Amino acid sequence: MYFLGIDIGSLSCDAVLIDDDENVIASSVVPTGARNRESIARVSAEVLRDAGVDRGAVRATVSTGYGRDRVDDRLASVTEITCHARGIAKLVPGTRLLVDIGGQDSKAILMARDGRVVDFAMNDKCAAGTGRFLEAMARALQVDIDEMGPLAAGAAGRQTISSMCTVFAESEVVSLIADGTPVNEIVHGINRSIAARVAGMVKRIAPDHGALPAAMSGGVARNCGVVAALRGALGCEVAVPALPDTVGALGAALIARERCAAGAAAV
Amino acid sequence: MMHEFFSNLESGLSKAIGAGEASPRKIYARELARLGTRLYGGNGGVAWCGITAPFDLLNAMGVTSCFVEFVGAMLASTGVVGSFIEETDHMGYSSDACSYHRAVMGASRKGMVPEPAFLVGTTNPCSGGLAVIENLARRFGKRQYVLHIPQDQSGGNVRFLAEQLRDLSAFVAAHTGAPLDPDALRRAVSNTNEARALMAEAYEFAKAVPSPVATKDLANYGIVMALFLGTDAAVDIARAFRDEFAKRVADTRSGVPNEKVRLLWIQNRIQFKNGIDDILAREYDASVVIDELNDITWDAIDPDEPFEGIARRSISIPFNGSIANRVAHLKKLAREYRVHGAVNPCNWGCRQGTGARGLIEEGLKEIGVPVLNLEVDCIDSRKFTEGQFRTRIEAFMEMLAGRPSPWS
Repeated sequence: MYFLGIDIGSLSCDAVLIDDDENVIASSVVPTGARNRESIARVSAEVLRDAGVDRGAVRATVSTGYGRDRVDDRLASVTEITCHARGIAKLVPGTRLLVDIGGQDSKAILMARDGRVVDFAMNDKCAAGTGRFLEAMARALQVDIDEMGPLAAGAAGRQTISSMCTVFAESEVVSLIADGTPVNEIVHGINRSIAARVAGMVKRIAPDHGALPAAMSGGVARNCGVVAALRGALGCEVAVPALPDTVGALGAALIARERCAAGAAAV
Repeated sequence: MMHEFFSNLESGLSKAIGAGEASPRKIYARELARLGTRLYGGNGGVAWCGITAPFDLLNAMGVTSCFVEFVGAMLASTGVVGSFIEETDHMGYSSDACSYHRAVMGASRKGMVPEPAFLVGTTNPCSGGLAVIENLARRFGKRQYVLHIPQDQSGGNVRFLAEQLRDLSAFVAAHTGAPLDPDALRRAVSNTNEARALMAEAYEFAKAVPSPVATKDLANYGIVMALFLGTDAAVDIARAFRDEFAKRVADTRSGVPNEKVRLLWIQNRIQFKNGIDDILAREYDASVVIDELNDITWDAIDPDEPFEGIARRSISIPFNGSIANRVAHLKKLAREYRVHGAVNPCNWGCRQGTGARGLIEEGLKEIGVPVLNLEVDCIDSRKFTEGQFRTRIEAFMEMLAGRPSPWS
């Protein structure tokens, strides 16, 4: 039997299929777009096709992410905070501090040794420090977001960018480009801006975070520049799993399996 | 328009209550409607006040009085607050200022705040509220009396405030033309004490496990009851809640069926429709069993020394004095009500919410009670994003489900 986790975020819709032994059989990521039900159908079909598994062999589905209630025939919907914690505990055992930067929010999650959530903090009021923020900055720099990671290489790190407002930050970037500021310095400033914002949340929930094994999940974790800036801001190593986008979906799949094992009615 | 709204509300509630559909919440709402009808009745004699004004003294002197934040909460609950808040952009208010106060100032610009005969400001709990009183006094060209509320209960401080209250009664008499009748004040004090005792009994019932209290039952109760102190209505409302909770406890009927999670709500509720009651009850068998302001922090008032007793009450509210006092009070409530977690809405622009947040969270964590800090504007629904709000609430409830009770 198989268990499906679907994470419907604001930017991407991710699915992970696992088997009875918690092995990942397949995973898929598609853009969420404006019609998230279509994205859910597409990502589910993709992951089942890649795994060569019939839908009937899926014992239970758990959904997460902001669109978690849009998944029909689900066993349960669980927040991304719980799912990311559960997923990273599988991928990076021993993680006590998780930073998840998603499309429209960023989260710092303090975990117990067994992967339970002990405390969490999320960005408030503004999308600064999130995937959308990075997307806006990439647009201002006229570079592909997937290419932004290495662009900060060699920067002296003198440039700062507002960490309080995405719109103001975008204007700042446009002004810096007009002033001839090197792109690597601007990108470095953007990365530091995101890291500073997230580090503030980390310090709120874990003032003594330096000694805790830390990891990062979410699509932004694929950006090596942001990860490096976060390591600098936190003053510690930050582990990144091979497929950071799908950590939430994996957690959802693991929860589906656990709940079935605990006797919940399967769907 | 407002008079008609409150008048219709009152008659609708009276009809329902008369038809045997009485509930404590309906009785409470009917009295609010009656107050609204008097405030907007156009008969003069209205006083706009700060939250810690002595409403029993004002009621004894025949003055229809209300704290200004009531207007903000009312506009928010009816879903029409946005345009009133926008009005204050033109009068120097920061967009980050408290929306309770922006709403009432905007309402005054649109003619939705009845002209007062006079105003009574209080320096506690909030300087923003006092600024509203001063703005309204200037706008209407009316006199204001500012009560300087000391920060602690020393004998000198009580005497200082009691003297101001005596002076206030002379100020009020100068406006109404009727001096304070000592017998009326004695009756008001008697009503206040009776309501106080009934409220204390209701709160004792609320502590039961499972609690008879559902999230909605005591929303805004303690703070709004202050408006009715000194009146028969206060006694009627307090008795209705006491009786209802006593019955539910006797019948082992909890506010939320199969109660699993008990929550403490810090400061004020979110005043517009937000769905939290349903999320808590339906999805998590959870209930807010205690609000920070639903507590009796003052002794019964000695009828022979009413001004001193009222002064002690005004000083005693949890928002007064140091944050350490406030944290100690919250810890006491958390223990007494055996809560599993606390929710702090951290109302935007609120002095009480902003500076104290970290200390409150730390204090409650010391006794094993986690705190969900929301950053919401409790009045301005335009700033509300349901998905973000829901994720925070649900993640907090999931987190609570995975940890042992602090009381097991």
